[in-house]
Parts: sequence; C-alpha cells; structure tokens
Amino acid sequence: MFFRIIPKREIPELVRGLASQFHVIGPVAKDGSFVYAPLSAPAELRLDYDTTLLPAKEWFFPSSETLMRFTVADNVVIDDSVDETKRVLFGLHPCDVNSLLLMDNVFLGDNPDPYYKARRDNTLIVGVSCMPNEHCFCNAWGTDETHWGFDIFLSDIGEDYYASIRSVMGAELVDRYVAGRPITDDDTAAFQRRTAEFKAAFTNDVDTSQLPVLLDAKFDSDIWEKLGEKCLACGACSMVCPTCYCFDVHDVLEADQLTGCRVRTWDSCQFKEFAEVAHGHNFRDTRASRVKYRYYHKQWGYLSKFERVLCVGCGRCTRACKAQINPPRVVRALQTGLVD
Amino acid sequence: MTTHLSAAPIVVNPYRPSPARITSIIDLTPMEKLFEFRLIGDAAREAFDFQAGQFVELSIFGVGEAPISISSAPSKQGFIELCVRNSGDVTGALHSKKCGDIVGLRGPFGRGFPFQEMKGHDILLVAGGLGIAPLKSLINHIHDDRHDFGKVTILYGSRTPADILFRAQFDMWRHRDDFDLILSVDQPDETWDGAVGLVTKLFDTIDVDPKGTYGAICGPPVMYKYVIAEMRKKAMDADHIYVSFERRMKCGIGKCGHCGVGHQYACIDGPVFNYWEAMNLQEAI
Repeated sequence: MFFRIIPKREIPELVRGLASQFHVIGPVAKDGSFVYAPLSAPAELRLDYDTTLLPAKEWFFPSSETLMRFTVADNVVIDDSVDETKRVLFGLHPCDVNSLLLMDNVFLGDNPDPYYKARRDNTLIVGVSCMPNEHCFCNAWGTDETHWGFDIFLSDIGEDYYASIRSVMGAELVDRYVAGRPITDDDTAAFQRRTAEFKAAFTNDVDTSQLPVLLDAKFDSDIWEKLGEKCLACGACSMVCPTCYCFDVHDVLEADQLTGCRVRTWDSCQFKEFAEVAHGHNFRDTRASRVKYRYYHKQWGYLSKFERVLCVGCGRCTRACKAQINPPRVVRALQTGLVD
Repeated sequence: MTTHLSAAPIVVNPYRPSPARITSIIDLTPMEKLFEFRLIGDAAREAFDFQAGQFVELSIFGVGEAPISISSAPSKQGFIELCVRNSGDVTGALHSKKCGDIVGLRGPFGRGFPFQEMKGHDILLVAGGLGIAPLKSLINHIHDDRHDFGKVTILYGSRTPADILFRAQFDMWRHRDDFDLILSVDQPDETWDGAVGLVTKLFDTIDVDPKGTYGAICGPPVMYKYVIAEMRKKAMDADHIYVSFERRMKCGIGKCGHCGVGHQYACIDGPVFNYWEAMNLQEAI
C-alpha cells in the first residue's frame, strides 16, 4: 500500500476536483442526524459525522430499483440496462467499507448481479477513520480495521490525514488534486497512537466466542421466545443494516397495461410472509422463529459460506430497534441463556 | 475488491428470462396441468442442460415469477415439462395461457438428484401429492437408462383417486415388471381398488436392501419426517436418502434470501439434499 499525508485543509480541493469527474456522495447533516447524499458543495461534507441513518448499500443496491422493462403481450424484455453513473462515495467508516466487501460475496460471487456490479465497478470509495459511539461494536468482528475495499482511506492524525492509497485511480486523483507529502516515521507513530485511542474508546464488550456452536446448541432455548415477544416485526433492523441484502421482486404495470417494470425492493426476514409458500404454509410463522433466523443467518449461515459473519458492528440496528433487540444483547443472551 | 472504473461489460443477466413457447398443455386434474415448453432459439435450447431435481423460474411479465420443478427427464432434450398447480398469481396466469403463447423461463437452478451416484443401486422413490413432479423427472431418467439400475420401487400417495397425477403413465407402468409402482390414497372412492391410507403404510409391503438402495422423497412439508423414519427403520443410510424441499424463492441464484433453510439456501445448496445434510439444517424437516 502507498501512503500520503494530506492536510485536512486540502480536502475541499480534493472534493472539488472529484466533483469535476464524478457524482460525489458523502455524509451530510440532515434533520439532526447524518445521511449519505450527493454533495452540492465541498463544505457540506461532514467527515466528523458519527453514523448515518441508512448505510451505503443504497448506492449499490437501492431500496427500490427497476431490473427490466417489459411488454406484456409478447412477454419480452425491452430494457435491462444497468446504472453506470460514475460516483465517489466519500467518507465511509471502516464498518461501511467492510460491509460492501460482505455484500460483494453475495452479489459478485457465483451468478454475479449485473445491477450491483455496474454500480460497484463505477464507484470509487474514499474511507475515513472514526471514533466509536456508544452503539458501535465493530471491534467484536474485526471490522474496525479496513485494509482493502477502498481507493483511498483517510486516517485522522490531527491537522492531517494519514492516507492509505489502494488503487491506481486513487493514486492518480490524490496526485492531481492535492499537494500532500510522503509519510514520515513521526506520521506513522501518530497513526499508531490514534489507532490505540480508537481501540480503547469502545464501550461495548461483545463476547463472540463459539457463536456457531451456541446458535445450534441453543436453537430451542427460550431466549428466542422472549426476544420474539418483544419484536415488533417492523423490519427496521434489516433496512438500516449495511449487510442485509434480501430482496423482493414484483411487477408494476404502466397505466396502459401494455408495458411495465420488474422492480426489486429491500425485504426483511422479519416480515411474516418472507418464508411463506403456496397454500399459506409458512416455514417461519412466529416472530421468535424470525428473530432467531436473522441471527442464525448472520452469525452462522453466511459464515458457513464466506468465513465471515454478516455483521460489521455499526450499531444502526441498535438505534433503529424500538424493542431493544440488537446484536450485543442477543449475543449476551446466547452466552448466558438469559435475556437482560 | 478494489474499484475498477473500466470493467468489462456484463454479458449475462441472470434475472432476464429466456422466452419459451408453450407447445402442449394437458389437463391432469382440475387443479394441475402439464405444460411443455420449447425455448426459443437453438442456442438457448442447447445451453439448457439440467439434472432431475432442478427447477426453473417461470416468468410471466406483469404478474411475476414462481419456482417450478422440472418434471421432464434430462434424457429428453429440446423441451421442458412443468407440472403446475393453479395455486397463486403466476401459476394462475399460466393456467390461463394457450398453446403457442410465450412465457419466460430462467434456469435451470439448484442441485438435483445425484443420478450418476445412484447408478448400480436399487431406487426407492416416495412422493406425496404434487411432490411427484420433480420425482417424475428422475423416474423417466431412470427409465431411459433402466439397465444401469437395480430394483425400482415407487410409492405415491394422493388425497383421492382423482388427485393422482400422471395417472395414464402410471396405469401403464403398473403392469410392468421393471418398475414396482404402489399407489395409495387417503380418501378412496368406489372405483379404487388400491391401497388406502398414508404413504408410510406402504413400507410394510416392501423389501429394501438397506445398503444397496438410494431413496428420494418429495411431498408436502409434513411428510418428510415420517417417510424418513420408515426408511431409517429399513436401515437405509442417512446419506443415501435424498429429499427435495419447496421454499419461497424470488431469484433462484442465492441472493434474495427467501429460501433460507438452516444455514443454507434451498435454491443453490438444494433443493435436493441428502438426509445427513438435512439433519444438519435447522427447521428443515
């Protein structure tokens, strides 16, 4: 990896330069919190944000997107083009950078998804370091660090960013738009001090040991009934999750009934009809079974395929859940057998 | 993944159905019809290479998609046969189609029965209701390769005599000595002279070579554990008993998440699993 010291005051110049070639999307303040949104001016970029309401997946796997347009009479596809807009996602925290790598396993592995792939191929990622808030637990999964999955990663070392440069395009853009300078040993020492402060700042302690065993051995535990009694089945946990990728597909007809669109939308395994088949048989018809499945899949199902858990510890579901069901609490329940 | 701004163009869209023409429709029961499709274009037909037990996504634009097991045998190239019950929006729309109409197909998807591995063994097939559809693909494939198999026994349970699918074919087979076909119904009528009761009762009437037999089961969700218990009573090995699962599916390619069964997906890891695998899948059976 190549490194560069980029003074913080040069970031607006970098953003301005990027904006001449790309749609630049980054964290901006909105209604008292932050969202990833297109920047209309470099000053809107808030690299001091703590978290965003929705994760970055929206820019690769939108909450609703047209897969294809069709004609009804002859059952023919008339358009299945993909979105090749050139974008930069500027300011992703390590959790969100890592979440995209987890999404990649699903959408870019066997049978690659052309819609996701086109957006991923045409989007540069600029990451930025953060400090944990009270809901963060990325350290539990090792997703507090990121070593790939970005073009440029900016680590805050005071007046400057210690920039890791991962791609040719990232290097070209840094060369073109910022002066910067090479790193020194002092810079690396500052980077290490900053990393130590970051690691020490976590307040959640999540004991992830032996989760696959516990998920199977305690599959019939009453913790799931207790959690199911609390769950509102609203699906908010899935919507705000940077790694939840489940979707629904449905056809929408135009007013003339002659043409239409096949649309996919985010779905959630917490919704009652998610596992229902013909004649109304439902493989998970209780909230308890659906809460359990969400955790079972994230900490074991996905792990069994890709050797990583499907969670990056961003804490968004902790904020979103009105029933206080969240990974630290569920993992505690699995470890102790008690729902606290 | 590091971003590449000049990626190669996408060639294949796995969500885009291939057009297929309906070439035959046979009424089997008031609820089920047997459809035969022919993919349009030589290249599409040649590329469609499947195994018994695999499924397709049937696509009717304006209505949606539904996963359907293939019931024709891989040994019959050039057409695809689907036995479809009118039970939802997509299957209802298909039932209103005529010969010559065009629909869409995607697939074949999933893991089918291990046909090559089954060769050289006796075969015990157990179907309940519409579960005969994927097994018919396997039965016909065995039929076309009959000398490679030992004794072939088919136990098929239906609700009433009128619900028996593929009855014309089975009526012919009842008189053959190379297929042992035993039909059973839950509710007989005055014409019925066969067995009555659950399909599991038929196990009392058959002999099974425990180490030399492969089992295959497909039926309603409630059926599996009882049939598996009977096969285990006959001392068949867990990894020689194959089951085919029905689950809700949208994509067929391991992405939409709907068909999760235990830690796997029915669409790519199944829909056919052996019982050892299925035992290790929570909520599978």
